[in-house]
This record gives sequence, structure tokens and C-alpha cells, in this order.
Amino acid sequence: MDQAGLTALIQTLAQGLLTGGLYALIGTGLSLIFGVMRVINFAHGDFLAIGMFITLALFRTFDLDPYLSLLVAAPVGFALGFVIQRLVLARLGDRLSEGSMLATLGIGLIISNTLLLTFGAQPQNINVPYATNTFQLGGVQVSIPLLIAGLGTALAIAGLNLLLYRTELGRAIRATAQNPLGAELQGVKTAHIQAIVFGLGVAFAAVAGVLLMPLLYAFPTVGENYTTKAFIVTVLGGLGNLPGAVAGGLVLGVVESLGAYYISNNYRDAYGLVAFLLVLLLRPEGLFGRTVKRV
Amino acid sequence: MTTTAPLSAARPRALTFGNVWLSLALLAVMLLYPFVFGKALNFGVSTLIFAGLAMSWNVLGGWAGQLSLGHAAFVGVGAYTMTLLATPERVPAFLGGPVAPWWGALIGMGLAVLLAAVWGALTFRLRGSYFTLSTIAVALVLRLVAINSEWTGGSEGLFMPELPTFLGLDLFDRRVEYGLALAFVALTLLVTHLLRRSRLGYALQAVREDEDGARALGIDPARMKLVAFMLSAALTALGGSLYAIYLQAFEPHTLLELPVSVQIALMAIIGGRASIQGPVIGALLLATFGEVFRTVFASANLLIYGVLILAVTLFAPDGILGLFQRGGRKLGTAR
Repeated sequence: MDQAGLTALIQTLAQGLLTGGLYALIGTGLSLIFGVMRVINFAHGDFLAIGMFITLALFRTFDLDPYLSLLVAAPVGFALGFVIQRLVLARLGDRLSEGSMLATLGIGLIISNTLLLTFGAQPQNINVPYATNTFQLGGVQVSIPLLIAGLGTALAIAGLNLLLYRTELGRAIRATAQNPLGAELQGVKTAHIQAIVFGLGVAFAAVAGVLLMPLLYAFPTVGENYTTKAFIVTVLGGLGNLPGAVAGGLVLGVVESLGAYYISNNYRDAYGLVAFLLVLLLRPEGLFGRTVKRV
Repeated sequence: MTTTAPLSAARPRALTFGNVWLSLALLAVMLLYPFVFGKALNFGVSTLIFAGLAMSWNVLGGWAGQLSLGHAAFVGVGAYTMTLLATPERVPAFLGGPVAPWWGALIGMGLAVLLAAVWGALTFRLRGSYFTLSTIAVALVLRLVAINSEWTGGSEGLFMPELPTFLGLDLFDRRVEYGLALAFVALTLLVTHLLRRSRLGYALQAVREDEDGARALGIDPARMKLVAFMLSAALTALGGSLYAIYLQAFEPHTLLELPVSVQIALMAIIGGRASIQGPVIGALLLATFGEVFRTVFASANLLIYGVLILAVTLFAPDGILGLFQRGGRKLGTAR
């Protein structure tokens, strides 16, 4: 491989890893929810869209820097998730596994169509001066917003790890994931924990939306695509396996990037789907880990 | 089968007299519709096609209890196969010329069965959510192929060529399409009814209610689900061909997107999955609501789908029909 080819390869890998970091963030939220509650959240991408539109609205109204929107989007996402779990998912009882798919599908439709009514179908973006900035690193160009997104992802996931493994709440969450009945008997209020977990998962999706906003156009049905990406990431990593979700996100980002560069950009979305189907069929426990590990 | 599988009591059971009258009333309305609402034939045709599609979905989703959110794939296979084979400049050379739409529809059904067979054989080893996730992925992959291939017309999609007349009838006449759509609904009703009373039907219900229990009775769950999937795929592809004729021109976005799959599934679920008439009722209801909301909310008309599916999931897990039947039973015991 000549010098130019090598640079292109590194460039493609860097791009893939950074995009993959964002996918990891989206997938982590979904995987966390599944790991603790066995719920597949079909509205995940729509929560991401909410994050994007919060950023857009704040920028349009108050000229707020997109990254400051995190302070609004994260709590709003958490509250939304908490309430939805309490009002909807908690009521499904023993119909949870399929009922939750249908209910979240409905919630997703309600979100995307409400966004459509509020903001219109036209794709919209925000013009911040640094949106198109890049910096050079040995001939490799890295987009600044993508780098910030990557750092944000790393911070969010590190924070989640601290929460899960260093706090009392984290112990309660892990206990609920491992054995809800046992946890309940030990005095853990599992219903409350599940609402917190759903809130956290949704907050992760909303945060991903904020981080994506400087890079992309927002439109009401943007979530559909990201729900699919979240499923792919989660299945690649193994449903409910958090480190797996991070690895799955990076794998998806790199696979898409390499495929788009070396095979065809038109099929960018297909590489992940094919990988997803293959993993689903050949290793339903995910690429990483022997069994389906819970949180 | 001599042993009764543990069917849950909440599910709508046998065809009762109430149901027969309801079905006859529905049939009468459908037959009279074109004469009364001649100007709203478009609505009638599309509603009937979707009712038939919902019933086709129900063979797998209702009777076998396998939640597919990828049935748009079969709609697409039916529509594309029929149209491509009927278009002189797109038909493969070895066929020597365009294929009549009814033969094209049959070939489409065959391809759909083939796809379902492969897909089902691979995925029915997986349970629950995994199958649902795989259905979405397969439909999305087909969509990407349709968008990016030259022979499918790419993202521009396909125009329906001139079609030969069917028994002397013009296939682009809305009244003819109405009749065909009604026949499609009748066919899916018949299949569902026969299925309900057959060995296969009972086996499917047993699998749906308790897979391990069914296996203990000597039923092979994976095989039963596979048969239901193939049957469901064939009927859906037939509906897809009909839908293509109705649309006259279509693109991957209108045919192969997730919302199409969701729409079909929701009609059956909202009406009542484990029943014969449920999908028809769901289709009528959603199409009517959809139409009304289209005038109010323009493109945001799927909002009502979201609200309804949420309401049904929470308050009427057996669908609208289940709700009525439960109410009926309560009245019955009160007397």
C-alpha cells in the first residue's frame, strides 16, 4: 500500500471510530434498558430526535451554543423516560416483552409526528462557526464536532460506569438486572429503579442527539435510522451487555466507514444490517462474551 | 389432535353467531360500497388491500404469535416481481416478452415463499424479540437493494406498463380493482377460516400459547412457524401485486419502509390478533382515522396510529374485537 492509500485507510478508520463512538452512546442506552428491564425500546431513535430538536429550538430562540443544550436535553430525556416507564411500561405486567415493543413503537410514532407538526418536515441545521472545522494530525483530518462527540461519548460512558459500580444506586440497578425478585426482597424498590434506568437510557439517546446536531440535519423522522443503528449496535455487542454495546458501536462505525470507502457509499447502511443479521443468526449472544451477560 | 392446548380464556374463541352476523354485515357493506360511494373508490380499494394484507400478516402474527415488523418485504417482492415481469424493457430476455400480471403475481408469491422459507428456517431457532429484529433488518436490506439497483428503477421506482385485460376487464379501472381487492380479502378470510379449523391452525395456537408445551405434545414449533410464515408471505406478496396495480407507480420509499410494515401489523393488532375479523375491523378503523387525520394533520397522520397502538396495548391487549367480546361475555354472565 502506498503512502496515499495508507493515509486514506487511517482517515477512514479514524472517521469510523469517532462515528462508532456515537453509535456506542446510542446503543449503550438501549442496552442498559434491555439489560435491566428486558424491554426493547423502539422509540430510542425518536428520543435522539428530541435531543436534536431541543438543541435546534434553543439555538434558534436563545442563540444558545449547541453543547450547552446538554444541560437541558439530558434532564428532559431522563424525566421523559422516567414518566413513560411509570405510566406505560410498568402497567404491562407479564405482557412486557411484546407489549413493550408495541407500546414503544406507538410512543415513537407519537414523538416523530408531534415533531413533524411542531417543526415541519424540512430538514434543518444550525450554523455554528466550528461546525465544519477540522484539525490535521499527520495528514489525517478530523472534524471538530465529531471529536467533541467522541469525547462526550467517552465521558458519558465513564460516568455511567462510575454510577453502576461505585454508588449505592448502581448496586441497586445491578441487583435489579440480575434478579428483580431477589432485589425486591432485599429492600430494593425495583419499580423505582426500572423507571430510573429507563430515564437514563432515554437521557443517553437525547445526549447523543445533542452531540449529533452540529454534524447533521434534523428532521422529524431522523430517529428511525438511529433506532435501527441502536439495534445493530446492541445485537453486535449482545443484548444487555454494556461493554459489548461500546465495542459493537465502534465495530459498526468502522465497518460502515470501510465499506463506504472501499466498496460503495450507496450501501453504507447495508453493511451494518448484514453484520447484524449474521450475528443474529450465528451468534445471538453477540460478538463478545460467551453468554448473554446482564449489566 | 386429542389434547387441547392451554389456550388462554381471554382470547376470542370459536366463531359465534354474533361473529357470523358481524361478518355478513361487513360483507354487505363492502359489496354495496362502490354503488353508494362511487366517488371514494380509491379509499375503498386501498382499505380493502390493507385489510387483506393485515389478514395475511395475521396468519403469522396472530395465529403463530410471531411479531413481524418486516412484512413490507413481501409487499415489495410481490409488487416488484409483477411489475418488472410485465414491463417489456425490464423483463429478463430469456422469458421472451412481458408476463401477464396474474402470472407475475403468482411468480411473486413463489419468490416470497422462497424468501420466507430461507429467512424462517434461519430465524425461528431464535425466540421472541430476535425474530422481530431480524424482520426489520431483512426489509431494510431489500429496501437498500431496491434503491441502489438499476434494474429495480432505483429510488425513482417503477411505472406500471400497459397491462393486458383480465377476463376482458381493464385492470386500471377502479371498479375492477375494487372487485379484485374484495376477492383478495375473501381469499385471506377463507385461508384464515380454514386455518382456524385445521390441524395446522390448532398446532399454531398451541405454539403461540406455550412453545414448550406444544413441543411436549409432539408438535415441531419451528416447522409450524415456518409453514405459517410461508403462507403469510405468499398472501402478502399477492396483496403487494394488487397494491402495485392500484398505485400504478411506486418507489422503494412508499413500499419498503418500516411504516408500511408497521401499518400492516398494527391493523391486525388493533383489530384483534387471534380472531378472524379483527384485522378487517382494524384496517377499516385505521384507514378511516388515517383519512380523517390526513385532512387535519396532513403528513402527520401517523400520529393517530401511535395513539391507538399505545391505547390498545395498555387497555385492550386482545384488540378492539377482544374488548367487545370481553364486554359481551360480561353482559352474558350478568344476565
